[in-house]
Amino acid sequence: MTAALSDVPQLVLNGVMSGAILTVPAIGLTAIYAVLRFPNFAVASHATVGAFAGYLANVMLGWPLVPAALAAFLVAGVIGVVSDWVVLRPLRPAGLITVTIASVALMIALENLVRLGFGNALRDYDLPILRDWRFAGLRVGPQQLEDLAIAVVAVGVLFAVLHLTRVGKAMRAVADNPTLAAIKGIDAAKIALLVNFVAMGLAGLGGMLIGLDTSIDPLTGFRTLLAVFAAAVVGGLGSIPGAVMGALTVGIAEELSQLALPPDYRTVVGFLAILLVLTMRPRGLLGARSY
Amino acid sequence: MTFTVSRRAALLGAAALAAPRLVRAQGAKLQLGVLTPLTGAGAFDGPRMLKAMQAVAADVNAAGGVLGKQIELVVEDDETNPEAAVRAAHKLVDVDKVPVIMGTWASAVTMAVAPVCWESKTFLTTVSGADTITQLPHQGYLIRTQPNNFLQATKHAEFIIRQGRKKVFILSIQAPFTVPTQKRLTDVLTPNGVAVVGSLIYDKDKTSYRSEVDQALKASPDLLYLNGYAPDVGVVLRDLYRADYTGAKLTQSYALTEKALQELPKPVTEGVLTVQPSADVNSPAYAAAVKRLGIATPDSYEAQATDWISIVVLTIARAGQATGTAIRDTVRQITNSDGEKVYTAVDGLAAIKAGKKIKYEGASGPCVFTEIGDITDCKFRFNQVANGAFRLVEVM
Repeated sequence: MTAALSDVPQLVLNGVMSGAILTVPAIGLTAIYAVLRFPNFAVASHATVGAFAGYLANVMLGWPLVPAALAAFLVAGVIGVVSDWVVLRPLRPAGLITVTIASVALMIALENLVRLGFGNALRDYDLPILRDWRFAGLRVGPQQLEDLAIAVVAVGVLFAVLHLTRVGKAMRAVADNPTLAAIKGIDAAKIALLVNFVAMGLAGLGGMLIGLDTSIDPLTGFRTLLAVFAAAVVGGLGSIPGAVMGALTVGIAEELSQLALPPDYRTVVGFLAILLVLTMRPRGLLGARSY
Repeated sequence: MTFTVSRRAALLGAAALAAPRLVRAQGAKLQLGVLTPLTGAGAFDGPRMLKAMQAVAADVNAAGGVLGKQIELVVEDDETNPEAAVRAAHKLVDVDKVPVIMGTWASAVTMAVAPVCWESKTFLTTVSGADTITQLPHQGYLIRTQPNNFLQATKHAEFIIRQGRKKVFILSIQAPFTVPTQKRLTDVLTPNGVAVVGSLIYDKDKTSYRSEVDQALKASPDLLYLNGYAPDVGVVLRDLYRADYTGAKLTQSYALTEKALQELPKPVTEGVLTVQPSADVNSPAYAAAVKRLGIATPDSYEAQATDWISIVVLTIARAGQATGTAIRDTVRQITNSDGEKVYTAVDGLAAIKAGKKIKYEGASGPCVFTEIGDITDCKFRFNQVANGAFRLVEVM
């Protein structure tokens, strides 16, 4: 059973919503790639960590949505810095492959730490569930709009920091040319630390946003890993505007695929996107060097 | 010198190996194999199934045993792992030479152990549900007391008909049981005037099923059959609430667990119907199991384990010999007979001694087996969520 042409507006709307949420962790992945030049698979487990940090703040401490989302960002960011410092940083001299594989191991370890503390059961945030709003034959959930707003604000703040502040310019400089940045007196190690904090924080926030609409468990981050990678690769790994474009493209494409494919093939879209981009335009939609 | 020592050691070792066999021969015990998961994913059910069998064995032994021998259970752990299970099965078959192995739980484990059993002419009883298990070329050396997917779908369809629903949409996860279940539901529903207005198979691990839900609701069903697992069914239920769906929803109890019920917002789960295979809670055999085990409500697994050992013991008594082939050839004289109904192994043994023809009716259900070893019928428990808690609708 596939969708009809008349469903296109609703499918696009659904795609924009899911793509917007995907943007947040995709930026995390691509930012680390831009500065440290390796795909950090541990974004998945940091998304889980953020989801559970937000859960603790929201359910145990009774915090409302926005402070809980901030907690998700901060906790995942701090754990991102610590885990990078302890596990990945010492391995960086060994080369790209070693660090990448170590990031997979880190992902599995963190995920199981969460499992040790919280078990495998599904958990839900303490938020009221609301009926969708309907307009012009379309429907959209209030929660989706709230998620969208949080994602837009987070991405907006990140762009502002990157373009308007000294530290943001320093980050872009290191990403663009680490040697030249070092000559100008920018401490690359400090920038790496900062990028890790922000990127893993965004992954954590993304994990919570995903969890708001569903339930969370230790696999929350891992489930979306493929889509996050697809978004980052489609946009051009290392490009932050690219990650935004890529996430929206993958989100909308997954939904529109239902016009031609049965819904059980939705995951194929992520793989196809990666395959197509790597074959036709390896640098991604926007090219790897745009921040 | 070294040579002498090692030869002595070898002799001692040989004597030690031979000893248990001699002891066994003198003790005149009847050894029956038990292979339940005591560790791994099945570690919740396995030990309880073992206890249920031990309790029946104790009752039978207290009443004088079977064929004049006391029952001794030889217990191995299948670790919920096919590889470990095959090793354990070989030990039971080759070393202990048991006529029967009772207890495999996971379908993958049963698929691996079954060939070991039929090749050695050892009888196997299991709770695994995959349709393919009884389709193996097991030559009759296998029975299962768990309803297979076919029977489950039949019972679900009959429930939907009883509920008076007219338009069913089937929303399923991509899984091996999806298509057979869809087919069976349609085959039972359609001739009874219930239209299957559509079906859709979705992908697991998605964060939203809004588009899928839209597709389903376009067919305006009055019952949605949600054939998935807990993570995705939770998301689908939320998306159904958001989309203002007000019709009925039916799902497996493992897809909407007690725990999930506590976590999901109450409006989302309100009115959801769940179904699970049930022990036959009104049967005398179940009442006897309650008393024997000292538990208020033994579950389906404890009931099935009770039935395995009861059926095996009665079959051995009826056949007059304890071999796998004798059990295979005689088991249906106990389960598929029109004789006097008995509900416990002890009562059955007494009736056989008195020369009566018997029919064992179990705690898990009537225990009538098809040619390939499937049960023909069993009870199902239907619950409905009301204000965040399960309420019994019926046991049918």
